[in-house]
Amino acid sequence: MKAIRSTLRIDSRSIAAVVLVALLVTAPLYLRNSPYQMAVATGAFFYAIMASSWTLLAGIAGQFSFAHMAFAGIGAYTAGLLGRDLGITPLMGIILGTLLAGFIGLIIGLLCLRLKAAYLALFTIAFSELFRIALLTEFQFTEGSNGLQLSKLWEAVQGIEEYYVMLALLLGAMALMYWLVGSRIGLFLRSLREDQEAASAMGVNVVRYKVLIFVVTSLIAGLAGAVFYHVVGIVTPNTMEILQMSLVIAMAVIGGIESLLGAAIGAFLTRIGLEVLREINIFGVQIELGAWRYAAFGLLLMFTLRFAQNGLVYPIIDRLFVRPGRKDTVAKREQASSPTATEGES
Amino acid sequence: MIELEVRDVYKSFGGIQALNGVSFKIQGNELIGLIGPNGAGKTTLTNVLDGVYKPTGGQVWFKGQRIDGLPPYEIARRGLGRTFQVTRAFRRMTVLENMLVPAMALHATARKRDFHRKAMEVLEFLTMEHLAREYARSLSGGQQKLLELGRLLMLDPDIIILDEPFAGVHPKLMETIYEYIEVVHGQGKAFIIISHDMESIFTLSKRLLVLNFGELIADGDPNQVKRDPVVIEAYLGEEEEEEEGSVVIPPGYEVGWEEIDA
Repeated sequence: MKAIRSTLRIDSRSIAAVVLVALLVTAPLYLRNSPYQMAVATGAFFYAIMASSWTLLAGIAGQFSFAHMAFAGIGAYTAGLLGRDLGITPLMGIILGTLLAGFIGLIIGLLCLRLKAAYLALFTIAFSELFRIALLTEFQFTEGSNGLQLSKLWEAVQGIEEYYVMLALLLGAMALMYWLVGSRIGLFLRSLREDQEAASAMGVNVVRYKVLIFVVTSLIAGLAGAVFYHVVGIVTPNTMEILQMSLVIAMAVIGGIESLLGAAIGAFLTRIGLEVLREINIFGVQIELGAWRYAAFGLLLMFTLRFAQNGLVYPIIDRLFVRPGRKDTVAKREQASSPTATEGES
Repeated sequence: MIELEVRDVYKSFGGIQALNGVSFKIQGNELIGLIGPNGAGKTTLTNVLDGVYKPTGGQVWFKGQRIDGLPPYEIARRGLGRTFQVTRAFRRMTVLENMLVPAMALHATARKRDFHRKAMEVLEFLTMEHLAREYARSLSGGQQKLLELGRLLMLDPDIIILDEPFAGVHPKLMETIYEYIEVVHGQGKAFIIISHDMESIFTLSKRLLVLNFGELIADGDPNQVKRDPVVIEAYLGEEEEEEEGSVVIPPGYEVGWEEIDA
């Protein structure tokens, strides 16, 4: 019976995952004639990668960094500048941009070893701003606020191909992050989020895992940034603005700050929602919301923080796919240890 | 053979001398009580032993190797485990995950399922097996204390330092902790128990260390130590003896003194 239940639970998770992936893979069939919607979905994948990898760093490993978008910028600017000045291919630029983001992530990780909570947040804000201001100031080299043009991923690339590239990146990043969280490393990351001193007293090499998670998430952000801004065709220092970073954090919080999938779905839906809210139709009256849609987004964030600290998406995932298994196990054990249950069975 | 040697250890914080030339040696599975008034340096000594603090002077040797200055995780892996005065369970992790952290940290190539059985056995010993999949934050304070003791067993250290294991604990839970200490000590582990609960300390320990103002003022048989005039003075500020000539603990001070070590 236990085996059947367990199998059913695994099946329900797998089925949900397959349905979700199938929907995303087949979506271009319906969006074929609306390149705008396809582009919005492609952008939403980028935010899903950013929000879920930030969740890994902050929600799971407890390193509340504000520099995540800066790493996407490092990836994009490295790829763009190398492509423009050295004429290397976008693929090579993306690889080098990703590696540089990872290397700077390593340095930031080492510098932040003794920083916690607000101090870490302030340090990473300072780093992010420093990078943004450097890009603005060195405008002869970086094009400053005009933005740096990036070539397309390849010649005559279609919107549908860019959609699939970003989707593949999202699925690959999610697979890597889920593997990491499910492994021993995930266990250590969560222990250092909870209590670094206690984790260390239990034999966990806190320094190693803290640096490791900065490197891994910086690599993911760098890769996502380098690829996405090749899709967009331009990257500006605004990418590194605190507002942009706050948007990613808010998406993760709305989705569920401790859940990779929750954050990814939260980011995807929020990004789509923000586009849908540009213009709404109420009883035949067309209303342009413009910047007000961000106010609606802010209200949603305030609601989440006040009433649903586990996010809005994660509780649904938990209820459908996680909690039934946990409750079942505990209930069974309680039943087994209860004297009345034993009498009943005998 | 378990061997821990503390050689003339000093630790200062600015102008405050928290440890002042402390020396002692543990050989074999001794059961040692460590007492002292508030601010005596008990927790500082624990933090020096487990690597949280680097001593200002002196050395710590464990199993023939010098360990002072090593990071806490390295000392833990070498076989010195501790609990904290204020319980520090990983609250947003399940009880089982809490148990797996030290086991996985100790065995680099192990998989989580390799230690499930052992973790469940330890939880059964602590009568907590039914809570395995609950989050640690949902446990009572006493259960979190037991969880810390369980985690230590997964680390499988040779020397276990318990910092105030009886503070604020229900009498029934106290029995479980007593049993834990007796059983685990019987398996060959050495214990250093820091407590303000004199009854428990005198019942359990076979040797007593007394710290006062960072100095080790007594080291020996508990029955002799409690008659030592220096110890009596340290606790009461003046020489005062009971009828039998033992340490007099003021009423209400037996349990739960707050440690305010730097």
